[in-house]
Amino acid sequence: MAASAPAAGPAEGAGDSPLSGLPGAGTPAARRGLDVIRWLGRIGAIIPLGALICIVIVLLVEAIPAFRYNGTTFFTHSVYTPGGGGYDSAIVHTDGVAHQTGATFGFFSSIIGTLVTTLIAVIVGVPLSIGAALAIVERLPKRIAGGVGVFLELLAGIPSVVIGLWGVVTFGPFLSRDIVPFVSRNLPDVPVLNYFKGSMNGLGQSMLTSGLILAIMIIPIVASTARDLIRQVPILPREGAVALGMSDAQCAMRVTLPWIRTGLIGAIVLGIGRALGETIAVAMVSGNNTAALPSDIYGTMTTIAATLVNGLDSAFGDGSGFSVRALAELALVLMIITLAVNVAARMLVRRTSGAALPIGPGL
Amino acid sequence: MSSASSARPGTTAPGSGPGVGAWPAIPMRRRVGNRIFWALCVIALLLVITPTVWLAVGVIARAAPHWQWSVLTTKTIGATGKDVGGLSQGILGTIVITLVAVVVGGIISVLTGVYLSEYAHRGRYREILRGGYEVLAGVPSIVLGYVGYVALAIGLGWKFGLLPAVVVIAVLTIPYITKATETSLAQVPVSYREGAEALGIPASVTLRRIVLKTALPGMITGMLLATAIAVGETAPLLLTAGAGGGNPSTHLTDNPVGFLTYFVFTFSPNVQPNPAANYLAYDAALLLLVFVLVIIILGRIIAARARRNTEQ
Amino acid sequence: MARRIRLVYTAAAVVPIALLASACGSSGTSNNSSGSSSSSAPAAAMVGPALPSKPSTTPKTVLETGSTLLYPLMGAWTQAYQKEFQNASTKSPYATIDTGATGSGTGIADAASGTVDIGASDAYLSSSVKTTTPTLVNIALAISAQQINYNVPGVKNLKLDGTVLAGIYNGKINSWNDPAIKSLNPSAHLPNLKIVPLHREDSSGDTFLFTSYLNATAPSDWPSSLVNTTITWPKGSTTAETGNGGMVSGCAATKGCVAYIGISYLQKTQAAGLGTAMLKNSAGNFVAPTPATIAAAASAQTAKTPPSETQSMINGPGANSYPIINYEYAIVNTKQSDGVKAEDIRAFLHWTVHAGQDGTTYLDPVDFQPLPASVVKLSDAQIAKIGA
Repeated sequence: MAASAPAAGPAEGAGDSPLSGLPGAGTPAARRGLDVIRWLGRIGAIIPLGALICIVIVLLVEAIPAFRYNGTTFFTHSVYTPGGGGYDSAIVHTDGVAHQTGATFGFFSSIIGTLVTTLIAVIVGVPLSIGAALAIVERLPKRIAGGVGVFLELLAGIPSVVIGLWGVVTFGPFLSRDIVPFVSRNLPDVPVLNYFKGSMNGLGQSMLTSGLILAIMIIPIVASTARDLIRQVPILPREGAVALGMSDAQCAMRVTLPWIRTGLIGAIVLGIGRALGETIAVAMVSGNNTAALPSDIYGTMTTIAATLVNGLDSAFGDGSGFSVRALAELALVLMIITLAVNVAARMLVRRTSGAALPIGPGL
Repeated sequence: MSSASSARPGTTAPGSGPGVGAWPAIPMRRRVGNRIFWALCVIALLLVITPTVWLAVGVIARAAPHWQWSVLTTKTIGATGKDVGGLSQGILGTIVITLVAVVVGGIISVLTGVYLSEYAHRGRYREILRGGYEVLAGVPSIVLGYVGYVALAIGLGWKFGLLPAVVVIAVLTIPYITKATETSLAQVPVSYREGAEALGIPASVTLRRIVLKTALPGMITGMLLATAIAVGETAPLLLTAGAGGGNPSTHLTDNPVGFLTYFVFTFSPNVQPNPAANYLAYDAALLLLVFVLVIIILGRIIAARARRNTEQ
Repeated sequence: MARRIRLVYTAAAVVPIALLASACGSSGTSNNSSGSSSSSAPAAAMVGPALPSKPSTTPKTVLETGSTLLYPLMGAWTQAYQKEFQNASTKSPYATIDTGATGSGTGIADAASGTVDIGASDAYLSSSVKTTTPTLVNIALAISAQQINYNVPGVKNLKLDGTVLAGIYNGKINSWNDPAIKSLNPSAHLPNLKIVPLHREDSSGDTFLFTSYLNATAPSDWPSSLVNTTITWPKGSTTAETGNGGMVSGCAATKGCVAYIGISYLQKTQAAGLGTAMLKNSAGNFVAPTPATIAAAASAQTAKTPPSETQSMINGPGANSYPIINYEYAIVNTKQSDGVKAEDIRAFLHWTVHAGQDGTTYLDPVDFQPLPASVVKLSDAQIAKIGA
């Protein structure tokens, strides 16, 4: 019976799924209904894969000629010169790719900017999230904890452009006027701390502000996941810790947190992914300095995503089309960085079972 | 003195963690360390809540004094000049783009989620598909915007319009809805399916009437998440729906469509020195916050109803 | 059965790939199949008169975007135009014109790729764009200028020249009380304030005008490779703003800033308390951007405008001429896809170079100068070429 039912392809669980062709699975009409759903499912499953393949193909087709022409300058210098001869540079061809004479593109400051702001976001955001999650689960009364959960959801849902608006209108000027002068004046005069001495521009556009804004964006992801995970840590290991004489703090640090290590790393990686790809808020608070890295943390900078969103609209004004290719190469670099982070996290985290929250014996 | 017995299992009653203060043998250092640790945690909590409150208050404080209901019904005129108009195309555009994208993405995702959880059980295919969705979820939205602009708007000649915008947003939201569908389908108790089989109900009917119905709240939550994401996107829409477009219409291509986040980005005080334009930016931010709040409330209502239904 | 499944997978994966292969094939790098063949193509087909006095009665939407310098005037023009030519009973305009302020570079790019109908630009078309899309024309609509603003409390009527500005943006001159600035302004009380030079981060015609001025007056400090709508800014200028409006807000918020801002924002810069510099012109005199000096610079150069209207008017002759003036251009593809829309485009542009040149109503509020009659004729000739 099962062999005659068109259900049993080797890839699909012949007999594994409770729904595939069992003896007496129903009338032929019902089985056909099942087939329709399965075929629709196959088509539906392919479409996102097809989209992904298309994205990769478009990026590669656009970027590879640029990659060959740009060479290592792309990664080591900060240059945006569509035409070396100025506005009216002529179009020439090199290795089959069209470009203006003397075209040079380098996005060193964008790449470093992306990495550094993400680093700041993680350094600031992750401890705050974990601390907040611990406080919510172990210190707040249950009703207030629910209310705080609403704040976290709201923060997660606020469009990044609104956070950027708040950044340039309120947060940035606050940092620039009230915090930075105070910190700069009072820091000890140690050479290694010179990176933290300086001044911000009036709108507060700087590397620090960008990093803090990104931290605000990854906090809801990490905090709500951490909160859910901490709630699920079984009582037995915690009671054991207390029986051994640990204080609450030690119990949290040595039992609870390691227990949720797997899921926590997953959430942090999600947060890093969001920080790497964040475009609009950073474009508003970074100062858009494509020329060089800032000399201190209060200087303006830029990130890959901000450079892309600012430059793409006008890239077609380069008649040779090479500016579009250079930006495709930059987009590809961003995708590769994000992929690398995801893969690295996968390797750090042991594979846990499917759809449930990924917690397991983390000790 | 120990309150361990009064704590409910699984929680720690506030301030009465077993071990603190109950055993005089704990050295002062550890007790102080404990207090400092939890004080830091509470500070962290306050720091986490502050931006949300500060932001919401700031936006409302700036938008409310100059709010006019006509903002909802008047078209935008321009960023300079005394009369800047309202946000009507932006509101309409955001609603239409979001709805269509979530519906299209939702249909594809639900089919995908059903397929993944009900059919694709053997290792390799499922892993490839799963891996594909993970990668897709990790693609930054600006990269999707780039591909949408270069391949769809320019390459296929669609120019700015509803169609490229919907395609890009749908692709953006598919991984989230798929994950939610897969998760909620997996959480349908096996006893439901076994019971249906025992009763002789055909498999397709089981799928439709019982499994999907039980998983529905989870799927809807996924779609609400996708809606929140779609409402708040800016970069990919700048590149596919166009800058400062008009009302959506049946003209799907070569017809730029306005969207709310554009106005927050372009009329903000660091780009436009015209105060009237800045008020529009704050109004748009306020509307976006209201949208997100509505979506969150809807999500909680659905989750509460689902919990009530399963706990019967 | 396994084979059938694999077939389905392959087919479903191939379809989007094929779709996008065709997209990539026709995307940016080789868009506009015009190439070299269209120079011998027949003249664009015309629907309606060559210079219509009003738009067609079929409602159409004309898309415009580009220069933030032209944007305030474009907004005023389109509002008046749509009010004048509307359906009397339904009060809806015959031609709806959507305007945008995305920067000249985007205006040119969008006009070249066809995503908008009219691209507004302070810069004429570059040779690379003209090579790839030969059917594009730049049509002069008005004469505008650029100011150099600064935020130095207590200093008025600062005199600056190209060499000093190049030094500032190069990072060689860091402080307002630098001897180079003092030598131009002996009687001013210049404070020991760090200079913060702002530049445009979007692809900007204002950047093109400013860098053209620097290159024209101080070529050894500012080579011609640094003249473009987007350049690699030397380390002196590290802060970028979006649009002319962003330059105004940014400069107002930062003490010690210097910025290049379009003349249409003069009232805004004055309201923000920013000073307007007096620039050294080719005759060696320091002039402020007033209607008189802009008009003087224009009258000395507009006679030499070629039919293509591609002309740089930077650092022109004249004792009283302001050195940074330019034509505001509408970039349009003379080969449109829709004949009726082409007619509407011609009607609007024709209106702007005639009724739209009225000083009191349109040009004075933005401190622009009208086109002289000879240039209006040249613009009309180019407008008449727009067809399907």
